[in-house]
Amino acid sequence: MENKVEQGQGQRERIVEAYVGEYASGKSEVALNRALNLVKKGHKPVTLVDFDLVEPFYTLRPLKRSLEEKGVQVLAWETEKTMGLGEAGMVLKPEIRWALKREGDIIIDVGYGVAGARKLRLLEDAREHPELRVFVVINIARPLTSDVKEIVDYIKTLGTVHGVINNSHWGDDTTIEIIQEGAKVVTKAANLLGLPVIATTVEQRFSQQIANYDLQGNPVVFLERQMNRYYW
Amino acid sequence: MAEKPITGEKRVFMTGNEAVAWAALAAEAEIMYGYPITPQNEIMHYWTRLAPKYGRGFLQTEDEISAGFTTCGGVLAGKRAFTATAGPGNILMQESMSMAEMMRIPTVLVVQQRGGPSTATVIYSQQETTLTCFGGNGEGFRIVYSTSSHQELFDYTLKAFHTAWKYRFPTFVLGDGYQAKMRESLYIYDPVEKGVPLAEATPLLGKEGMPGVDREPTHLRNTYNTEEELLEVISEIVKEYEQIALEVIEYETGGTEDAEIVVIAHGIVSRAASAATKVLRDEGLKVGYFRPITLRPFPANELRKVAQKAKKLVVAESAQGQLLKLVQEAIYGETVPLETYFKPGQGITGEELVDFLRSKIVQ
Repeated sequence: MENKVEQGQGQRERIVEAYVGEYASGKSEVALNRALNLVKKGHKPVTLVDFDLVEPFYTLRPLKRSLEEKGVQVLAWETEKTMGLGEAGMVLKPEIRWALKREGDIIIDVGYGVAGARKLRLLEDAREHPELRVFVVINIARPLTSDVKEIVDYIKTLGTVHGVINNSHWGDDTTIEIIQEGAKVVTKAANLLGLPVIATTVEQRFSQQIANYDLQGNPVVFLERQMNRYYW
Repeated sequence: MAEKPITGEKRVFMTGNEAVAWAALAAEAEIMYGYPITPQNEIMHYWTRLAPKYGRGFLQTEDEISAGFTTCGGVLAGKRAFTATAGPGNILMQESMSMAEMMRIPTVLVVQQRGGPSTATVIYSQQETTLTCFGGNGEGFRIVYSTSSHQELFDYTLKAFHTAWKYRFPTFVLGDGYQAKMRESLYIYDPVEKGVPLAEATPLLGKEGMPGVDREPTHLRNTYNTEEELLEVISEIVKEYEQIALEVIEYETGGTEDAEIVVIAHGIVSRAASAATKVLRDEGLKVGYFRPITLRPFPANELRKVAQKAKKLVVAESAQGQLLKLVQEAIYGETVPLETYFKPGQGITGEELVDFLRSKIVQ
């Protein structure tokens, strides 16, 4: 994410990014790792927004406190403070509506698939925010985004998008092959759409098998998996 | 029919609910009748996203009472039809599933258990064990598969369509909120290419020929006039159910050949039992586990053999004794000591079972 975004788009004073994508594509994992990396690089303040309104399983909420201890400001409900989990839907945490007006870096984790991308407009300033970049997270092991055509068709439903992230994996069963295959398929789809591949995101344990770039020349960003340890 | 949803075998990463939707597609299910409830919603969400692409149908009904009965109706018309629900929805579907037992309608119902009683939590439990096995006003003439992983949700949803139509008993796939929402890798495949059997679906009503002239009229009944009539019908079903049980029963064991202490668990808790068994056996302790895969019919004889060899049994479940009832009925008369590890509405990890079992061995 560092290389192409910051160089390719000139002097970005601050980072404002929204992560969208198919259900269970890895948006939260990629977003929270991005926020932590920015903190490590000395950015301050860094705000991570949990923008998930439906059936919040595997959201950032249970991680709120531990992320805050690491220096990230987290806008998210705490599970115990909410009512009507599940089919009853969720009330938007009021301060999230104003998140884009905050100072510093802002990373938005936009939950739940296609509807998720559309609901970005619920945020004040989202339509004409000059710094906002929307990145689509793709895992080709997800059956509805598994080949070039499916990915192209899917991304076309999302509205304004600035880049694509290859987050292909099989969870605990991930191999370097699925990561590189994902890079190939995602790069082809991105080329057809005229979008940059922002990064290939890879679990830290593969650092011996892949380094700065994947086989397609996309920058590699390593992830420390956290979402698999939390459910709510 | 439109193109096949899956060709060959493909490794994917998905939630359990999606695995069910893909399995139903692969099983050539023609229509889903449904009403939303967490944690099964994505079965419906993915079915409705995928169904139009593959020429399948969907009807959202006004409630679960209707979803259950329309599923029965679809099956009577010869469609491979299914529905999915949880918790209070499972309660409302018991009337239609009882009718399916009586009229021998091969429905398929996927249950993703949530907390109970009532609305409780949308998250997880194993508190729908009794309801899913015996929720009707009858004897529980049904087949219930309790799955423990995404691969099994796929495999057993496929199998449920086969079993239901082959034996004509309503068939249930019993998952839970953890399995529904968790993400795991699994292989999805086309059953035909893999040689996995899939019994033919044919209309139960409206068959060819003039009723009473070319063929006997079909008269499927759930109402009888006299006690004698009903007894005769039920006795016939009992006989048939006991016979097919021999073919349908499935279970899994680990380490029971020499185990002194055996954990009995079903569904996702059996993964904790299996993990705990491995850890303790690696330490040289004689621990094993027994997992009924079919809760109805229950592998009673198989469990009794294990109980006769063990020095202690432990029943572990995310409910307050619902599996225990099935176990006690199965091994009635055995004198082996039995302990329980109950956490109604909450998950059980391998680590906590290791600690619990270790404390039992020391004594």
